[in-house]
Amino acid sequence: MMVTNLKGSISHYLGQTSSAAPLVVFRMMFGVLMVASIARFWAKGWIEELYLNPSYHFTFYGFEWVKPLGSFTYLLFAAAILFAVLMAAGLWYRLASVGFFLTFTYIELLDKSTYLNHYYFISLISFLMIFLPANCMYSVDAKRNPHLQVNRIPQWTTDSIKLMVLILYFFAGLAKINSDWLVEALPMKIWLPAKNDLPWIGTLLNQTWVAYAFSWIGCLYDLSIGFLLWKKKTRVWAYAMVVLFHLMTSVLFPIGMFPYIMIGTGLIFFSGSFHERVLQKIQHWFGGKGNHFVGVFQYSSLPRKVILSLFSLFFLVQFLLPFRYMAYPGELFWTEEGYRFSWRVMLMEKNGEATFLVKDQEGSLAQVNNKDFLTPLQEKMMATQPDMILEYAHILRDHFESLGWVNPEVYADTYVSLNGRRGKRLLKPDVNLALEKESLRHKDWIENLDDEIKGL
Amino acid sequence: MKNQILKPFLFILSLSFLSFGCVEDSEKDEPTDSNLDREVLLANWADSFIIPGYERFDQKFQVLKTEAGDFQQEPTTQSLQDLREALKAAYISWQEVEMFEVGPAEQVTLRNFFNIYPADIEGITSNISQESYNLNLPASYSRQGFPALDYLINGVAAEEGDVLAFYLDESEGQQRLDYLMTLVGRMNELLSQVLVSWKSGYREQFISKTGLDIGSSTGGMVNAFTLYYERHVRTGKIGIPSGATIATGGNVNPDKIESFYYPSISRELAITANRASMDFFSGKSSTGTGASFKSYLNGIEAKDPSTGTLLSSDVLAQFELVQNKLNALNPNLKDQISTDNSAMIEVHTEMQKLVRMLKVDMSSAMSITITYTDNDGD
Repeated sequence: MMVTNLKGSISHYLGQTSSAAPLVVFRMMFGVLMVASIARFWAKGWIEELYLNPSYHFTFYGFEWVKPLGSFTYLLFAAAILFAVLMAAGLWYRLASVGFFLTFTYIELLDKSTYLNHYYFISLISFLMIFLPANCMYSVDAKRNPHLQVNRIPQWTTDSIKLMVLILYFFAGLAKINSDWLVEALPMKIWLPAKNDLPWIGTLLNQTWVAYAFSWIGCLYDLSIGFLLWKKKTRVWAYAMVVLFHLMTSVLFPIGMFPYIMIGTGLIFFSGSFHERVLQKIQHWFGGKGNHFVGVFQYSSLPRKVILSLFSLFFLVQFLLPFRYMAYPGELFWTEEGYRFSWRVMLMEKNGEATFLVKDQEGSLAQVNNKDFLTPLQEKMMATQPDMILEYAHILRDHFESLGWVNPEVYADTYVSLNGRRGKRLLKPDVNLALEKESLRHKDWIENLDDEIKGL
Repeated sequence: MKNQILKPFLFILSLSFLSFGCVEDSEKDEPTDSNLDREVLLANWADSFIIPGYERFDQKFQVLKTEAGDFQQEPTTQSLQDLREALKAAYISWQEVEMFEVGPAEQVTLRNFFNIYPADIEGITSNISQESYNLNLPASYSRQGFPALDYLINGVAAEEGDVLAFYLDESEGQQRLDYLMTLVGRMNELLSQVLVSWKSGYREQFISKTGLDIGSSTGGMVNAFTLYYERHVRTGKIGIPSGATIATGGNVNPDKIESFYYPSISRELAITANRASMDFFSGKSSTGTGASFKSYLNGIEAKDPSTGTLLSSDVLAQFELVQNKLNALNPNLKDQISTDNSAMIEVHTEMQKLVRMLKVDMSSAMSITITYTDNDGD
C-alpha cells in the first residue's frame, strides 16, 4: 500500500508541469555569467599563469590524460565562451550545452591546484542543462523551429537545478557543523581581522564575537537557505539574504565570480509569472513584440526514461559523495581524503612547507628547489595536500631518472599548520614516495593530527 | 509587487547598518584594536626600526668612508687600524638593517651589493687590473660590498706591514686604493638612495598599503623577514659553513663564513642578526616597545586551539633558544667548525624550526596571501 502510494506520488510529481520561464531565464543568465566569468579569467591573464606557464600540472585521479593544449588552450577558452553565448541565445542549444560542459570541465580537470567548489558546481549544472528543454522559448532555436515552442515544461526539469542548488548550500552547511567552526570560530577568527582595514566595518572584524556571528550565521544560512528559497512564503526574504550574504562574502574573501553566480542562480526559485515578466522585459529591450507561446514540452518515452534514471543516479551520487570521507581513517581536514567534491568551502586556514630530498643508489643527493618545478600557487596547494605531494614526488622521480639517476628515492620533509594549530609533520619523513602509488585507498604514510576536530 | 520585494531588502540593509553603527560606537575604545591596526604597525616599523636603523648604519658607514679616505691619502699602520675598526663597526651595524629588503632596498636589491659572500678574490683582482668594469652584474655581487672590503682591508696579507705594502706597491697600489674607494663610494650612494627614499615619501606609501595581499606592506615585510632569516641567517651564516644544508652534501665550508678575513667577529655578526630579528619581531627598539609582529599576533589571539599557547610566545622562546646556542659558540666560527661542528649543526636545526614557525605558522595566522587567484579556502 505504502509502496504504491509512493509510486503513485512519484509518477504524479513527474507528470506535473510548470512554467518554462524560470528555466529559460536561468539559461540566459547562466550563459551571460559564464561569458563574464571566463572573460574575466582570461583578462586577468590566468590562462597563461595557471595553464601555460607551469611546467607540470597536478591531475585528478583517473583523469591523468587531461593535458593543457599549449597555445590551443586559448582556443579551448574561446570555445567555452562561444558555447556560453550560444546557450544564452538559445542557438543550437543541445550542441552548445554539450560543448560548454565538455570544454569547461576539461579546463577544470587540467590542474588540481586550481580546484574550486564553484567550478565543480558549474560543471554539474552545465551537465544537467544538457538534458533540459531550456531553449523551448525566447531562443533562436524556438524562433526558427516553431515546433519547439512551448510555455510549459515538466516541473522536475526546473526542480533538478533547484535541487542542485539546495545540495550545494545544505552540504556546505553540514560541513560547518564541526568544533573548529562552531566552537573556535576558526578560520573566521583568522580571516576576518585580515580585512580590518576596510572602511565602515573594518574595526568590527577585529571582534571575536563577530567571528562567532559569521560562523554561526553562515552555518545556519547554508543549512536553511535552500529550503527557505523553495517555500513561497519565505522566498523573498530568503533571496534578500542571498544577495546580502554573497555581497558580504565578495567584499571579504577573494572568491571571484561565485557570489554573483549564486545571486543569479537563486532567481530560479521565483515563480513562473515573475520570470515571464522578466522575459517580456528582455524581449522589450531587444525590440521584439509580445510573443505568445503555448503548449507543453514532452520528452519522448525512451529519452525520458533514460534521463530520469540518469538524474536519479546523478543525485544519488551527489548525496553520497560528501560522506565518502567516512570510509577513511584519520582527521578529514588533515588528510583531505574525501575532501573535494563535497561542498566544503571556507573551512580551513591551512598553510605548509614541503621540502624534498632526492637520492639514488649511486650516492647522488639533491635537495629540490620547488620553484624550479612549480608555480607559487601550485607549491602552496601541494604543500598541504598529501595526494598532490605524492604526484609531485613522482614528477621529481621521473625528472631525476631522466637525468640518469638510478631508481631515485624521494623523501618529503613536511610541516603543516591547520586552523592555527602549531605546525607539525604531515607525512612520515622516511617513506620513499617514489614507490608509493596513487589510489583511492587510505595513504598510511600520513601522520596523525593528534587532535580531533569533532563533528561532520 | 515591487514594494513587496524591496521592503525586506531595505529592512535587512538598514538593520545591518544600524547594528554596525551601534557596535562601532560602543566598542571604539576597545584596547586590542590598536594592536590590530596595521597602519600603526607599519608606522612603528618605519619610524622605530627601518628609518632609525638605516640612520644608525649610515653613521657607522660615514665613519668607514672617512677612514677609507684617510687610508687612501696615507696608508699607515694607524690609518689601517682605524679603517679596520670602522669596517667592523659598520659590518655589525649592517646586521640590523639587512632584513629590511622592502620598498627602496628591494628596488635596488641592496643586499646584493652589500653582503654576498664569500668574496670573489679572482674577480676583485681582475676588476682592479681593468680600467672599466660593471658592478651591476650578478657575477659582480661578490666583488663588492662588505665581503670585498673585508678581503681588501683584512685579507690581502696576514701582517699589517704586508697589507700596507700591497697598497704602496708602485705599479698597482694606486689602482687598489681606487678600487677600495670605488666600492665604498658605491655602497654610500646606494645607502643614501635608500635612506632618502624612505624619508621623502616612501614612508607614507608604506604605511598606506594596509592590506595583507600581494603588494601590501605587511605581506611584503613578512616575506622579506622570513626570507632573510631563512636564507641569509640560517643558511648563509650557519648552514653552508657547517655543511648542515643538504646542498653542501655534508661537507664543511669554513671558508664560507661571514667576515672570513676577520673571523673573530663572525659569531658576533650572527648574534647581532638574530637579536635584531628577535627585537623586530617583538617590537623592542631603542625608543621602547611598540607595535610589532608580537603585538599583532597577540591582538588577533593567534594561539593553538588545542593547547592554547600563544604563537608569539613560542616564536620568542625559539629566538631565545637560538640566541643561547649562538652565545655558546666560539667567537670565531671558523674555529668552532674545526673543533666542534656539531654545535653549529644544532644551531642550524633550531633556526630551521624558527624558520618554519615564521614562514608557516605566522603567515598563516596573519592570513597573508601569496597569489591573486580566486580561492575558496581549500
